[in-house]
Amino acid sequence: MKQWIGLVARLITGGVWIVAGALKLPDPSGSVRAVRAYEILPESIVPTVGYALPVVEVALGVCLVLGLLTRVMGVLSALLFVAFIVGISAAWARGLSIDCGCFGGGGEITDATAKYPWEIARDVGLLLLSVWLVIWPRSRWSLDAVVLPPRAGEVSPGPGEGEELDVEAQQGR
Amino acid sequence: MSKRNKAAERAARAAALKAERERKARRDRQRRLLTIGAVVGGLLIVVVAAVWLQSRAGDIDETATAPEGATQSYGLRLGTADAEHEVVIYEDFLCPACKSFEDAYDAELESAVEEGRASVEYRPLDFLGRFGDYSQRTANAFAVVLDAAGPEVAKEFHDLLYAEQPAEDGDHPDDAWLIEKAVEAGATEADVAAGIEGLEFEAWVSNGVKAATSAGVQGTPTVMVDGEAIDASTLAEAIE
Repeated sequence: MKQWIGLVARLITGGVWIVAGALKLPDPSGSVRAVRAYEILPESIVPTVGYALPVVEVALGVCLVLGLLTRVMGVLSALLFVAFIVGISAAWARGLSIDCGCFGGGGEITDATAKYPWEIARDVGLLLLSVWLVIWPRSRWSLDAVVLPPRAGEVSPGPGEGEELDVEAQQGR
Repeated sequence: MSKRNKAAERAARAAALKAERERKARRDRQRRLLTIGAVVGGLLIVVVAAVWLQSRAGDIDETATAPEGATQSYGLRLGTADAEHEVVIYEDFLCPACKSFEDAYDAELESAVEEGRASVEYRPLDFLGRFGDYSQRTANAFAVVLDAAGPEVAKEFHDLLYAEQPAEDGDHPDDAWLIEKAVEAGATEADVAAGIEGLEFEAWVSNGVKAATSAGVQGTPTVMVDGEAIDASTLAEAIE
């Protein structure tokens, strides 16, 4: 059951990341302006963050959808959502009226305050799904299960267990 | 004797199995770390390369052709260089606040230019791409008209576009309408049609957006007087 929930969490968060990043990729300058509009980061790193964010989002989304390094990606995803929630809250608290730039766009808009609560709620929901993946990274149809050998101590069904029983039997208990 | 042997044999076999399992666990751990390392390494390479491409896309394209009569700063300057004040207006032909600004201050700016109180540079921007390509097409058309018919016609074209600005999020007029407006402003259809339809100055327009972004322009209209961004409502005093 948990593995199915994990799959759903992966697909939702991963899908959102892919869409959000892909919409921003064609307009690098727009992404820089969207980051700058928050007036949080120092100007010296605003361009780098603006250029990097869409790329990181797409890469993160693809990994989540594929189920590759799920726990690591879950941590990264959760951290980014926390950053966005903090950013939007800070913009709201300081009375800035900006488009969150979550799915492209960004910059000043007129009716931003009406949108902030919904944007934060959405990010909190996605944050919870990401945290789920950090706690229970094993999920259905993940690449992790295929490419990564099971971690020591993890119960792997099949021959491993058989051996275990065998040894005990042979130890003549 | 045989009993003891058996017990020793069992113990030896158990120990061998245990050692074998430990070896396997170690191999698995190594393989796991290697795989994770390879995946992380691959991801990093892809991400770094893509970020580099993104930042390159944010660089000015030096090969872009500028329209005849444009400034180095991707605009059209009206008035003389020795005017008292230097006004720069960043605007997007689709932005409603830019239309309000034009409605309120265009006459003021025109007389300031005539009296030599100020030079005014219009820098058209494609900032509202999220509403479609109208911003880009109009900024390009402005460049085409400037290139083909000169500053006065371009200014007239600029005024017409603001006077008949479409709704930001509605349907936007097509290229034929832009050509019609260019002709109405005083351009010759044959001179501007191909450039408007073919986005002749697309790279120049995109350079203008990049330059404005680097200059910290956040939204439109942004009005600068003598290098300082000002609130549009204080424009009249600033250029008095």
